Amino acid sequence: MKKDMANAIAVETRQVGKKFGSVTALDGIDIRVGSGEFVALMGASGSGKTTLMNILTCLDTASSGEVWLDGVNAATLDEEGRREFRARHIGLVFQQFHLIPYLNALENVMLAQHYHSVVDQPSARAALELVGMEHRLEHLPSQLSGGEQQRVCIARALVNRPPIIFADEPTGNLDEENENRVLDIFEKLHAQGHTIVMVTHNPVLGHRAERIVYLQHGRIVDAPEAISATARQTNGSRAFAMAASESARP
Amino acid sequence: MILRMLRQSWRRNPRRKLLSIATVFLAASLLSALMLVSIDIGDQMAREMKSYGANILMLPAEQAALPSLGDGEDNPLAGQSSLDESELPNIMDIFWRNNIAGFAPLLSGEVKLDDGLAVKVVGTFFDKRLTVPDEDDYHTGQRTISPFWHVQGEWPDDEKDEALAGSALARAHGWRAGMELTVGGAPLRIAGLLTSGGEEEDALVVPLRLAQQWLDMPGKIQAVRVSALTVPENDLSKRALRDPDSLDAETYDLWYCTAYVSSIAHQLEEAVSGSIARPIWQVAASEGVIIEKIQSLLIMATCAALLAAAMGIASLMTSVLMERSREIGLMKALGAHDWQASLLFYAEAILGSLAGGLLGCLAGWGLARVIGWQLFDEPLRFSWIVAPCVLLISVFIAVAGTWFPARRIARLYPVEVLHGRA
Ligand SMILES: Nc1ncnc2c1ncn2[C@@H]1O[C@H](COP(=O)(O)OP(=O)(O)O)[C@@H](O)[C@H]1O
Ligand SMILES: [Mg+2]
Repeated sequence: MKKDMANAIAVETRQVGKKFGSVTALDGIDIRVGSGEFVALMGASGSGKTTLMNILTCLDTASSGEVWLDGVNAATLDEEGRREFRARHIGLVFQQFHLIPYLNALENVMLAQHYHSVVDQPSARAALELVGMEHRLEHLPSQLSGGEQQRVCIARALVNRPPIIFADEPTGNLDEENENRVLDIFEKLHAQGHTIVMVTHNPVLGHRAERIVYLQHGRIVDAPEAISATARQTNGSRAFAMAASESARP
Repeated sequence: MILRMLRQSWRRNPRRKLLSIATVFLAASLLSALMLVSIDIGDQMAREMKSYGANILMLPAEQAALPSLGDGEDNPLAGQSSLDESELPNIMDIFWRNNIAGFAPLLSGEVKLDDGLAVKVVGTFFDKRLTVPDEDDYHTGQRTISPFWHVQGEWPDDEKDEALAGSALARAHGWRAGMELTVGGAPLRIAGLLTSGGEEEDALVVPLRLAQQWLDMPGKIQAVRVSALTVPENDLSKRALRDPDSLDAETYDLWYCTAYVSSIAHQLEEAVSGSIARPIWQVAASEGVIIEKIQSLLIMATCAALLAAAMGIASLMTSVLMERSREIGLMKALGAHDWQASLLFYAEAILGSLAGGLLGCLAGWGLARVIGWQLFDEPLRFSWIVAPCVLLISVFIAVAGTWFPARRIARLYPVEVLHGRA
């Protein structure tokens, strides 16, 4: 497992901070995700997970620090550059799916191709097949269950073969059965070599990732037990989460 | 792909679009109706204004020297001299002949009926057939220039021995339509009773030919009432009226070739020898002004309708964009350019406005016809220029209405909508 880490680094942040007015959402975040890694980001509600994800996916900018994505410093990109980078390098999966309601499953996937380059129906079909949705191509989002919608959403994130897939609470709106399905897909993608960063606050799901990074009050901490232990928090937040290498999977 | 999105968006969610089409439709139908009406109303109104009576009175030059004929109530008995009936067709040969709606000669005097009763007689044309240059079957007379004459019974035939009895006169002597009187041994049938609101109500109105015979004035007339379509007077026309000779050649031509009541009157004087043509100012001066005022009123109403429609579209589009802000945020998150997101909404708005504009043109035409019937008893003409104008304006208001909300698209950050913070 540690083999990948030595190779390429997909995501690396250096002392990333984010303030919303007087609220400090992120404070000195250092993360490194190796290419092909499957990392879970965990933390209590309000701990800054979404804020960090938005910065990593170039939807938002950091107030301070550096964000390196595939060897590019996102802080140096302007809005147009971030748009371009998002289209080329990043697959997004949202908690609320965000499918276009009047387009069917296939068309929703093709839309991502349209904004990326050109529409290619066979490969859109293949992406839906990969998530087991080949029998629902013509269905509208409203005709699909939540789990099915999320799988369409994952297919849409995959279709342009982005180097990294980011998923913010992808199972937040799903029941247990569908949770497992989605995680199965992520594991399958991981096995195929995709880099995946997934936010969750379900420890069971978190432990299915290769590695868990814990966030608390906008800082990276060692382990969930550390939540109340301020002394350990100072230790933990300085260490690279990666170096701790507490890989959850046997 | 954008076409596909437009199609699907329309097919699967037509309610919103129908609403915006309906907005454009209403605006466009109002707009096209108002445009059609304002284009045609000039002619229609001018025609309608004729019901207020003739607007030029021609008199023999000697008699016109007498003062105070300005109020339109001529008194043909006041003078002795006369004009020649044979020169009347010249009226239809003047430069502005096409603006002459009609005319009627007048000859009046007192005649004794065979039963000894002396009555005032007015000879005129009712609907007389005349030989004039350029026109084969030209009829003119009181029926054309005095649409306010109300006849109970029938209009007399100019070629028969028939008359209209003024309603006051008929009441005084118990005459009814269809009765016969005798004048000079010959029968005279009362075809109808006349209510005109003028002094004809006390007279027996007969074909000119009979009056000339009874009054022993063959071929003579005392006055001509002329109804002409005119443009409003201005400084030039007033100066010309005072003294046409004071104009230099170029301004004279300009004046002569404009349908001022003064230049038409001037041309009428040239056409009938020994005559003086007097504009009846109250009617003549106000006609053009009233038409212009009504037209500018219509234009203002049209502008207000347009503004309202553009604002309607803008608020509709704003609420559409609010509703669909997640969609826009998603497109941007997937890497859409701002213009790509905006384009979709512009295209939707433009297509909707074309549909609404087209339907609105048709409805507006129908509306204009109804207005025409209601106001003028005849449909307004359809001017084709209105259709492209209305379509263009429809698209314009749709684009203008989308422009403000579309700028919000540009400012919208995907983070704000995708994670529910707006
Ligand atoms: N746009 C924003 N404006 C102001 N405060 C924000 C904004 N986004 C996030 N925050 C604050 O930043 C902190 C982290 O939020 P978030 O990243 O959404 O947490 P999580 O996703 O872990 O629940 C919270 O205290 C939240 O109130
Ligand atoms: Mg969150």
